[in-house]
Amino acid sequence: MSKNIFTFILLICCCITVNAQSEYTGKISDRTGNPIPDATIKVKNSATTTTSGPDGSFKIMAKENASITVTVVGYGATELSLGNERNLKILLDRNERYLEEVVVTALGIKREKRNLTFSSQEVKSEELLRAKDPNVVNAIAGKVSGVQITNSSGTPGGSARIVVRGTTSIFGKNEALIVLDGIPIDNSETGSIASGPGSNRLVDIDPSIIENVNVLKGAAATALYGSSGARGVVIITTKNGAGYKKPLITLSSDLGFDQALYPDVQSKYAQGDRGVYYNGEDQKSSSSWGPLMDTLRVNGAPVEKRNQMKDFFRTGRTTNNTISVGGSNPNSGYFFSYSYFDQQGTVPQNDFKRHNVFTKFNTKIGDKFTAAFQFNYSNSARHTVPEGYILESPIWTIFTAPISWNPLPYLNPDGTQRVFRFSRNNPYWTLDNVFTKGNVNRFLPVATFTYNPAKWLSITERVGADIYSEQLKYYEALNSVANPNGVLEERTNTFRQFNHDLIISAKKQFGNFDINVLVGNNILSSYGQSARGRGVGLSVDNFYNLANAATQTYSETHSLQRKVGFYTQANIDYKKLLVLSLTGRYDGSSVLWKEKNFYPYGSAAMSFVFSELLSRASTFLNFGKIRVSYATVGNDNVDPYKLTTAYEPANVATVAFPFQGQNGFLLSQTLGNPYIKNELVKEFEVGLETRILNNKLGVEVSYFNKNMSNGIIQGVLTSSAIGYTGTTVNTAKLNTKGVELLINATPVKTKNFNWDVVFNFTKINNKVLFLNGDIKQLSIGFTQAMVDQPYGVIFGDRFKRTAQGQLIIDAAGLPVKDDTQGILGNISPDWTAGITNTLTYRNWSFSFFFDMKKGGDIQNNVDGYGYFYGMPKVTENRQPRVIEGISEVDNKPNTVMADAEDYYRRLNSVLEAVIQDGTYIKLRNVTLGYTFRGALLSKTPFKSASVVVTGRNLLIHRPNFTGSDPEASSFGSANGSQGLYSFSTPTSRTVNFGLKLTF
Amino acid sequence: MKNIIVCIITVSLFFNSGCKKFIDVNDDPNSLLDVQEALILSPVELDISSNIAAGNASVIVNHWMQNVALNQPVPNSGTYLQNNVDFDADWTNIYVTGLNNLNNLKKKAEANGNFKYSGIAKILISYCLGVATDLWGDVPFSTAFQGSANFLPSYDKQEDIYKSIQASLDAGIADINKGTGKAVGGDDYFYNGDMDKWKKLAYTLKARYYMHLTKAPGYTAAAQADLALAALQNGMQSNADDLRFSYPGDAGHENFLYLTFLPVSTLVLSEHLVDGFKTRNDPRLSKMIAPASSTGLYTGRPIGAVDLGDLDAYSLPGDFYGSPTSPIYIVTYAEALFIKAEATLIKSNAAAAQPIYEDAVRAHMKLLGVSTTEANTYLASRGVLTAANALQLIMEEKSIANFLSLENFNDWRRTGFPVLTKVPHALSEIPRRIIYSQSELIANPQALHTAKLTDRVWWDK
Repeated sequence: MSKNIFTFILLICCCITVNAQSEYTGKISDRTGNPIPDATIKVKNSATTTTSGPDGSFKIMAKENASITVTVVGYGATELSLGNERNLKILLDRNERYLEEVVVTALGIKREKRNLTFSSQEVKSEELLRAKDPNVVNAIAGKVSGVQITNSSGTPGGSARIVVRGTTSIFGKNEALIVLDGIPIDNSETGSIASGPGSNRLVDIDPSIIENVNVLKGAAATALYGSSGARGVVIITTKNGAGYKKPLITLSSDLGFDQALYPDVQSKYAQGDRGVYYNGEDQKSSSSWGPLMDTLRVNGAPVEKRNQMKDFFRTGRTTNNTISVGGSNPNSGYFFSYSYFDQQGTVPQNDFKRHNVFTKFNTKIGDKFTAAFQFNYSNSARHTVPEGYILESPIWTIFTAPISWNPLPYLNPDGTQRVFRFSRNNPYWTLDNVFTKGNVNRFLPVATFTYNPAKWLSITERVGADIYSEQLKYYEALNSVANPNGVLEERTNTFRQFNHDLIISAKKQFGNFDINVLVGNNILSSYGQSARGRGVGLSVDNFYNLANAATQTYSETHSLQRKVGFYTQANIDYKKLLVLSLTGRYDGSSVLWKEKNFYPYGSAAMSFVFSELLSRASTFLNFGKIRVSYATVGNDNVDPYKLTTAYEPANVATVAFPFQGQNGFLLSQTLGNPYIKNELVKEFEVGLETRILNNKLGVEVSYFNKNMSNGIIQGVLTSSAIGYTGTTVNTAKLNTKGVELLINATPVKTKNFNWDVVFNFTKINNKVLFLNGDIKQLSIGFTQAMVDQPYGVIFGDRFKRTAQGQLIIDAAGLPVKDDTQGILGNISPDWTAGITNTLTYRNWSFSFFFDMKKGGDIQNNVDGYGYFYGMPKVTENRQPRVIEGISEVDNKPNTVMADAEDYYRRLNSVLEAVIQDGTYIKLRNVTLGYTFRGALLSKTPFKSASVVVTGRNLLIHRPNFTGSDPEASSFGSANGSQGLYSFSTPTSRTVNFGLKLTF
Repeated sequence: MKNIIVCIITVSLFFNSGCKKFIDVNDDPNSLLDVQEALILSPVELDISSNIAAGNASVIVNHWMQNVALNQPVPNSGTYLQNNVDFDADWTNIYVTGLNNLNNLKKKAEANGNFKYSGIAKILISYCLGVATDLWGDVPFSTAFQGSANFLPSYDKQEDIYKSIQASLDAGIADINKGTGKAVGGDDYFYNGDMDKWKKLAYTLKARYYMHLTKAPGYTAAAQADLALAALQNGMQSNADDLRFSYPGDAGHENFLYLTFLPVSTLVLSEHLVDGFKTRNDPRLSKMIAPASSTGLYTGRPIGAVDLGDLDAYSLPGDFYGSPTSPIYIVTYAEALFIKAEATLIKSNAAAAQPIYEDAVRAHMKLLGVSTTEANTYLASRGVLTAANALQLIMEEKSIANFLSLENFNDWRRTGFPVLTKVPHALSEIPRRIIYSQSELIANPQALHTAKLTDRVWWDK
């Protein structure tokens, strides 16, 4: 091998001698003086080429009268003639004709966006950081077409869900695959023991270390990623030191304040029932159907009116401090960053804290070998109290606490809890006595070695790991209403994932054809382990050790999954006019039927840059491209060990075996299916990308049509009479089609003033075509998958109506519940859109971002329960009323008066009454920044300094939703947690002050 | 150059050949593919006690029998508001946790020649099946428990289910009589491996299920009474024979009925039940009923009440049935005597039934620790059985002895006693069955799933 290279080098030397060439050195930079690395310098009419280093410098041998071409992605090709000057300074202009964007595609391969045969959308660092959100998923919310992000609640560190191009699995994973610098990383939701969202584990990554996020949407883009890519891929590329040259130190500091956005409640009526006052002490009740506060007198004295939510929630406070340093020399670059994020939630006691250390080092070893090593360590710690509509949730009791009752002190003199109603804890007691604490230590090492034995050949070996361990503690003190004996739980979850890629790529030009071929191998191994100790029967308060529990049980689970993949890709580029891209992959997965655990799939895509055919002088159409693709992706969306039916450690009623000295095992409730094979996504996509008016207006539009077949349903319902409640099948069929639109416009561009607008729009139609056998309906948490309906319909009790749709009213003057249940709504939005305006004037920059969702129904449980309790604002009108409708007594329009309390309690019993349209327009982000430049800084050690004020969630327009924020999902990012607004920690309005210095 | 490529291809091929093996890691480390009988029996017995005998359906039918009440405004279970989904857990507890594991235990024990275990499995299969058919009427059995071989089991006629119950009890007795195979021990929470008691239980259950058919079409009360009396010859002989489940009562291991009545559920005893004890001047009052915690009085909640009451002002079950350590009684000697009294009344007359009825009440009182004097005084106050009142008195007393048992619902449907009138704000007449589970409606739809709460099962027609 080395002998061959030696021969090759020798050959070059011979050529030099024969042709009497001279050495030219040069440096390539852009107009602002930034060096341009990775430029290809080629001597015309010869085989001699070289590449510029990180500082833009190069050396090349050429004859004195030769011409060279300098080609670099984003700058096009430049030709110049050589002369006597041996030291060249080459300045390049960004060539906007060739959309300068270079994007990181599958397997970390950089490609020019203009040549892509599929749709992808990038979000850059500055835009990520503008969101001031510690969670990368939330930071891109509303920015990327085709992507739906659902925040959970306002709990610090709370989970967010990211679904690309709609749902593809009934019960399985639907969230996008996350890839960090070429390594897939875990983004599952963990850390929830009591009700309330956990954290999606991407929260462990500090957004400030990210250079950009690129979302690969369609199957053609992701086919190389194998199985998991079927759900879309979010590619995260971290910063590196290249191009900084001298050490650049960046310091940034943020301070934010959060104000909880809670729902409106009535502020007129006291605790009680049918106008009779209950004092909440010796007369307890969940109802606020008492008398008017204004005229209420107890022993002649008025009762103090409280604003329970204002008293309970505090102003949240967030600090985020980052220091980073990066630099490079011609052969190596480095980047180091440390950050500390600390958020104190609006619910007292809730917090989220994260330390993040990131280092990256890359170097050239000799001429043909480069190595890069990076390491990310993070520590995320979280303290949360329960939320949602479980008995322990203080949010439930504070949202519904009577305005006439003083919740403090929370203990009676005898040490028992003071409560206004039975069966629920005092919300303030909960804060001190119930919590989940989580602590995650996570390591993400990645090593990449690249060997370029020849100009046209590159061999990359990339090895990475994702290792974390999560310690969780749940504590519920003695005398909690739900668990009077107290509960302690200690869990340790360990996750280890190793990824290996070996990629060989070759590129060669044959006449007008530029051909790039790649073959590779991937090995992925994921292991999860959970050890769980649970204790009940506590004897001592505030002793958080399992030793405190009289009864202790322990359980453990392990899960190992391995995948092997072989892949290949060929890109054939004809004169930058036509690009044909073919991929193929052959995957093996440990979780499938052994006879069918290897499966092939692939994609074919083509793009046609029609603007190449037009006159180069055309100023109207600067760029135009049509792309078409068809792809299939096989997927193994099933957990390990679903092929067999085994005996599991028994848990019966409240008892975990062993029990009374006897151990016990029962057959799994889920029947194993030994014949599970891969599911298959087939996707057709067509797209158009254009830039017109001197690149001032860019439009990208995509249409896709995606079919899932052989869909795996893990846990599909079966008749219990077969002996099992469910099994796993390969029968689901889903169709998703959609349109995505992205518009970039620069309405004004002058020397001092710039106005940029980015608009994105997404419309996705999703339909469940088939489930299993005769099954027409499966519940997914709070919603349903129903045949011929979109995924996630809300189904339940509805009002009885006449054929004309009028309500049927009973003898008491109240609406009647229909005997049968029906579809009440659909949680998928009709469309979503986002628009960002960025204005810069001299040193000032101002940006504002609106985010819109049309449709998408929500079950508003806060109103649902509230109607019963008499809490929503609307219940302030307590006049008796005649409900419009047809009386079932005489079939005539109803004339019977109904009491407000009876009316709202009837609404409480019919789900339809609380299904609301979640349409919203949000002013999600407003940023005003000032950058100090030039003279102002010349006497300081700073290279740059900027200050930024950011407002988030400043306006929420929600015409049909009566809660505070239609985006909140109370129970996290799981499939089954969507579409429900139910006593979740409120989201916040935030003001954030940021300072950034570099020196 | 070529060498490198050759080298890489070789390495890849090596991976390729090895990767079949590399991904062969799907053996479940968390579960077992086989276990011995004892490990199955223990959790199934707990399921029968906590999830079936004292389970959700058992509480719901005792709403209808007006024994328990929710401290919640109407409508609720007390006023006969039920949805199919309310019975999903019961269907699963009986069919999946109970019957499927029992069926599997039976097959395994038969194959291993462990006939004590197969005998117990067969007896408990009959019990589970009895509960299922009495609640739902026609239910799957003959084509059930086949896993993927039959995803849509058919429904057997209730009459056939009853034949299966008796056949399985006979088979269980026969297995026990073989007496061979592994001994049953502490894994049997019910009887600690006492096979004589299992046999007495089997005979008592035979009598119970014969009597359920006293008014079934094509069956006569006299013939059923004969069969029951014959079976009872070998049935339970004392309170020590009771099928009951004892709970240690420490945290997490409490009596399931105690957990059911924790304040979260807002479940309390009904005014109808509590006032009955007071009216009868029943010496069992203080043992079976706890006074309300805030008032110290014996107060039940009226079912069908519109408004919320003070939860602490209502009575809960007393320490005998309702403490964390109280056992759950599933089949008792007292019940056997009441069956005998009723059968004797059918076959002979009130006078012949009298001493048996008295024995039955005394057996229950003895269990509770009521003194003989108090028992005698009470029995005297209840009067002598006559042709006119005998059945009513027997069934009333039986329902007290079968405190919160599923049998109350069966007996009321058969005999009409204790007499009940429908509650205020009732959404229908008093229910005579439960409706099929939502999961079954979706996964195994059948025409008979349209059954309403007020429809009657076959033996109730």
